[in-house]
Amino acid sequence: MKQVFVIPERCMGCRSCEIGCAVQHSKEKTLFSAVLQSPPPMKRLFVESTDAIRMPIICRHCEDAPCLRACISGCLYRDEKGFVRRRKERCIGCWTCIMVCPFGVVTRDREKHIAVKCDRCHKLDTPACVAACPTGALVLVDIDDMPKETRQRLVLAGQKGVG
Amino acid sequence: MRYLVIGRSIAGITAAKEIRTNDSLAEITVVSEEKAKAYYRPLIPFLIDREEIDIFFPDDPLEKYGVKTLHEKVTGLDVTAKEALLSSGKRLGYDRLLIATGSRAVIPEVKGFQGEGVFPLRTMDDALGIKSCAKGKKRAVVLGGGFVGTKVSAALRHIGLGVTIVERCDQVLPQRLDRGGARIVAEAIRKAGIGIVLNDSVSEVVRESGTIVSVRLSSGALIDADIVVIAAGARPNTEPFRSSGVQVGKGIRIDEALRTNLPDVYAAGDVVEYVDLVTGELSVSALWTNAEEMGRIAGRNMAGANIKYRGFLGVMNATEIMDIPVMSVGLIEPEGSGYEVVVDDAIGTYRKLVFKEDVLMGVVFVGDVAHAGIYTNLIRNRIPIGSLKEEAIRGELGYIHFVGTVPHQTFPA
Ligand SMILES: Cc1cc2nc3c(=O)[nH]c(=O)nc-3n(C[C@H](O)[C@H](O)[C@H](O)COP(=O)(O)OP(=O)(O)OC[C@H]3O[C@@H](n4cnc5c(N)ncnc54)[C@H](O)[C@@H]3O)c2cc1C
Repeated sequence: MKQVFVIPERCMGCRSCEIGCAVQHSKEKTLFSAVLQSPPPMKRLFVESTDAIRMPIICRHCEDAPCLRACISGCLYRDEKGFVRRRKERCIGCWTCIMVCPFGVVTRDREKHIAVKCDRCHKLDTPACVAACPTGALVLVDIDDMPKETRQRLVLAGQKGVG
Repeated sequence: MRYLVIGRSIAGITAAKEIRTNDSLAEITVVSEEKAKAYYRPLIPFLIDREEIDIFFPDDPLEKYGVKTLHEKVTGLDVTAKEALLSSGKRLGYDRLLIATGSRAVIPEVKGFQGEGVFPLRTMDDALGIKSCAKGKKRAVVLGGGFVGTKVSAALRHIGLGVTIVERCDQVLPQRLDRGGARIVAEAIRKAGIGIVLNDSVSEVVRESGTIVSVRLSSGALIDADIVVIAAGARPNTEPFRSSGVQVGKGIRIDEALRTNLPDVYAAGDVVEYVDLVTGELSVSALWTNAEEMGRIAGRNMAGANIKYRGFLGVMNATEIMDIPVMSVGLIEPEGSGYEVVVDDAIGTYRKLVFKEDVLMGVVFVGDVAHAGIYTNLIRNRIPIGSLKEEAIRGELGYIHFVGTVPHQTFPA
């Protein structure tokens, strides 16, 4: 399975990923029309920084996804590729998913009153954020091809304090 | 192995799924008193005012997981024979049993409650009953200003009824929201044309030849009404199990593996009493999200795992009331000393944070709920926040502040 990973040292904070994401989730999927769209299209990942580190914060489509488990309306589900997605018409805007996502990557569509989150660009081979990143800070990796030690390190990092 | 689950709602369904996932040969039966297919209980208020709402579970999970379902009421247990007694007189044998009977609406003793036009709101049938009764009616009185009361009021107002909420406490959403947040919510509710009477209760439903004409309050006030909805809280469905010797406090007592004191009998969801992670006290959770977690752990443990359940956050509410997002998590109205409470009451938004030294104990967000999950995670896991307190107070906390300490995946270059 292919997963998106972040290499913080390579992130310059240019926000190309945010723009790529918003354009991909706009009506016409071009930068030109996305800029003019009102209300503007929403991004699903967020470049955040501290004095020490800078990187895009992305949805991990967690194996034990808190948002999915907590959803009180049957909106969130895991698709056949393993991505946590929305059945948009079922969202009632209760914001329970926002309340439980430890990464803060579920947001509110204020017009439609529904939750918005990463869909991993499920129709594309390469997600828009990865395609837009000019420095290789966002990469798509087949975890089955990853050296075992690397994978173990990632898994360990991913387990601490979840939920 | 024969597994029997009593109650086909979120705790029971989640447990059945987990049992199947961990024991492919399991023979699983779920018994339910409710006839309807599995549905999302929190969605039932929408049955009143939305035509297109689908409240059922998307592909029937029990069918998908090969679980047998039975529409029956369980009336008791024979612990020695390991059988559940059904209202039809039948008996159902089990090797492992889960009690996931949830809770039911509390109906106070009030003169005039018996008869047409008075409804609780706990089940799909209740909601459909309210919907059909409300047709052509003009005025509703809703007893209780909690989440259920405010939701049903909004729905009834939406279909054109005049609505008055009568709340015993001195604020709406008592225990679920702090006073400051409740004030903002109450204002929005009133603006939507719904009346709120605080510090009062319903003492009588006045009827004329059976039909409701008004509601009398303890203060003596009289409110015109054609329909009354009772939203006075919920109580665990423990009754059928009491004679079997199961230990009951506020709900069925469980240990950290979600086992009751009876052999091979587990319990999960609204029906249990367990530890509130913030207060440390035993209480009943009454939340969907917590019932899901308990069902998951109980199911796995019944199928042989040994997962420990730490407890739940008794306050963990998110909703939208009159287009305003509202969220409260953890300890929101601290009593006693040792707490630092920071309130930011700017126009349009309200933020309250409760700290004990450098541990975040609770938050209330009204108007803006961005990044709330980061705060929930800190509260739930008691992660000391150290020098990040200022960021938390200013609402600038992001996951970036926890990279490397709280779960994340980065790819080493
Ligand atoms: C209007 C409303 C809105 C809500 N909104 C929210 C919300 O926004 N967020 C949130 O977290 N929670 C919400 N809740 C609470 C949430 O619905 C409950 O916490 C949750 O449903 C509990 O699940 P459960 O599986 O423990 O039990 P329940 O959902 O109560 O289900 C128990 C089932 O067991 C059956 N049963 C009981 N006794 C027997 C018996 N003797 N034999 C056979 N079957 C039996 C019952 O008929 C029922 O179907 C809401 C509740 C209501 C009523």
